[in-house]
Amino acid sequence: MTIWSVINSLTFRYIAKYVVVLSASVFLLLAALYAYISYGFFTELSESILDEQETLAVIYAGQSIAGVEQYVNDQLTAPASGRFYYLVTDGSGQRVAGDLNEVPRYEQFRGGWLGFQLALLEWGETVDVDFLARPMDLGGDYTAIVARNYADVTAQASLVIRTLFRAMIATIVLGMVGGFLSATSTLSRVERLNRELSGIIEGGPEQRINVDAQKGYVRELAEIMNSLLAQSEGLLRGVKTVSDNIAHDLRTPLTRMRNQLEQLRASERGDTALALNDIISECDDILGTFNALLRISSLETGGLYSGSAEVPLDQLLADVVELYEPLAAERDVALTLQMDACPAVAGDRDLLFQLFLNLVDNAIKYTPDGGSVVVRAAALVGFGARIVVGDSGPGIPADQHGNVLRRFFRIESSRGTHPGHGLGLSLVQAIVTFHRGVLSLGDNAPGLRVTVDLPQLSSRRK
Amino acid sequence: MHVLLVEDDETVGRFIVEQLQQAGHECTWKVDGVSGLAAARSDSFDVIVVDRMLPGTDGLTLLATLRNAGLTTPVLVLSALGEVSDRVEGLQSGADDYLVKPFSIDELLARLDVLFRRVASESSAAQTELTVADLRIDLLSREVTRAGQPISVQPREFKLLEYLMRHAGQIVTRAMLLEHVWGYHFDPQTNVIDVHISRLRQKIDKGFPEPLLETVRGAGYRLGDAPVDAQPGTSTDSVSQ
Repeated sequence: MTIWSVINSLTFRYIAKYVVVLSASVFLLLAALYAYISYGFFTELSESILDEQETLAVIYAGQSIAGVEQYVNDQLTAPASGRFYYLVTDGSGQRVAGDLNEVPRYEQFRGGWLGFQLALLEWGETVDVDFLARPMDLGGDYTAIVARNYADVTAQASLVIRTLFRAMIATIVLGMVGGFLSATSTLSRVERLNRELSGIIEGGPEQRINVDAQKGYVRELAEIMNSLLAQSEGLLRGVKTVSDNIAHDLRTPLTRMRNQLEQLRASERGDTALALNDIISECDDILGTFNALLRISSLETGGLYSGSAEVPLDQLLADVVELYEPLAAERDVALTLQMDACPAVAGDRDLLFQLFLNLVDNAIKYTPDGGSVVVRAAALVGFGARIVVGDSGPGIPADQHGNVLRRFFRIESSRGTHPGHGLGLSLVQAIVTFHRGVLSLGDNAPGLRVTVDLPQLSSRRK
Repeated sequence: MHVLLVEDDETVGRFIVEQLQQAGHECTWKVDGVSGLAAARSDSFDVIVVDRMLPGTDGLTLLATLRNAGLTTPVLVLSALGEVSDRVEGLQSGADDYLVKPFSIDELLARLDVLFRRVASESSAAQTELTVADLRIDLLSREVTRAGQPISVQPREFKLLEYLMRHAGQIVTRAMLLEHVWGYHFDPQTNVIDVHISRLRQKIDKGFPEPLLETVRGAGYRLGDAPVDAQPGTSTDSVSQ
């Protein structure tokens, strides 16, 4: 299981999405809360400035500019944090009172509000502090600016934003790690299920998933799959039984019919006799198909080869090639046998002969006149022998390789052009499986290459 | 001929009986080893057909008992494919032929015919020369002549010809040829044997007015004329290729 496969898994993606959406919504919620609180704070701040201005206005009205001066100077001795800053100027712009030296570069806001930055000495350091200010006419050419810094608010803001950001990062990282871990565990369960299912595909429909090894909902899934498998196995067996029964039961009346046709033909002459010949050979074809079908199914249901006979392949393959030499010569097909030293394989001599006879028969049948068919045998270390039958015919497209092993399946292009009932390779497959061997089809570039691996007696698994 | 069939499978049994009777043979059918053994001892049959797997006494035990009792009637053993590798065991128990299910009824009929006739020709087994019409082969020098003219054949063709001549006038199936000439036992279901036959025919029949080697449609081949007592079920028709 690679990291990539975990990240790609459904569980991880689901959790990742969830984490992202969750942190985004938490962020939005907190941001909205912050905006609301800041707005409240600024409202309060500006109201306090307006109040202070009103105070100044009242003092000016009562005690003129000297009173204002007195008041401002009193205020300046108050603790620095949270207090007001003042600048009272006369008509010529000269400062009369206050601790702001002059009007700094400011930004003009709505409703006569100003904003500026000022370097203040704080804890022995000059710090740029944001101010909110409002100028007012006191009367008699006097102007008063009342300002108040909002460093606290910005500090709070940046603190909140930093905290939010860190919390989000932490949430995402923790969420992803959690997601990764839970995806890994889910994935390993799913992977085990996959492995078991692949094993079933290879091993045959009678196999089942080991339910006891699964937990939770995967176990439930495994149970459902098992009942599904049981169902399809039953259906499959039903279909096989039905087709075998059909073949078995139809053989009797068909043979009877064929014999009656024979008797009829004995007394006929000319065209009728010829027509009867055709019908009889049709009957023979059908009977041949039935026999092949029954043969395959008895191979498939009869268990695996358990005898201890050993078949030397050199003699067997030489016999097959010798048997086919006249036919190959007639078609001008070069039929050659390349025999490396290889061990005798475990199996039934007649069945193995039939296996290679079918393969060579097919190879020659589908190879155009003047082509070549090569039978090659070599040792397969640790297993037994590998026999390859390659032809120079049209081959079989890779996507059809699985299909041609099915009963009655014939490549569309070979229907009508080559005789046969579409059981040859099925029989080959059945014989190979019966011997615990492996059959595979490949491209011979050009042509079809059939590879048969057969075990020797000593390497046969129990 | 009179055939004893010992077969427990009802469908197969009824089928064989029916086909044997249609081919003009007499057939007695027993469904288990014990009654089969009793029948074989009490009556005289030309050929016995025994299924390998039987309830009670199995086919091979029955066969061994018969042989121990000195009965020499030819026996053909039928077997399902699962027991295919036990063929040698079957023949060692005294079977004269062995046929794996499923088989075609022609195959069974041809084999029974051969078994039946072999008894008659047993006495001439030691001959060194075989003759069919003007075709003659010498088993020692391995020379083939027709009407005195020498014909050169390859070793396999000689074997093929020898088998055909030993069963002159009888139908031999492709499976029987594959079995006795090549040494493998199954129904090839392909035309590969036909090519060998037509090669042989080229050598022994070409240039002679009377063809000897016939293809018996749907069944197999026959060298020489059919005997006058040919059965209706194995009616023949020569088709020259």
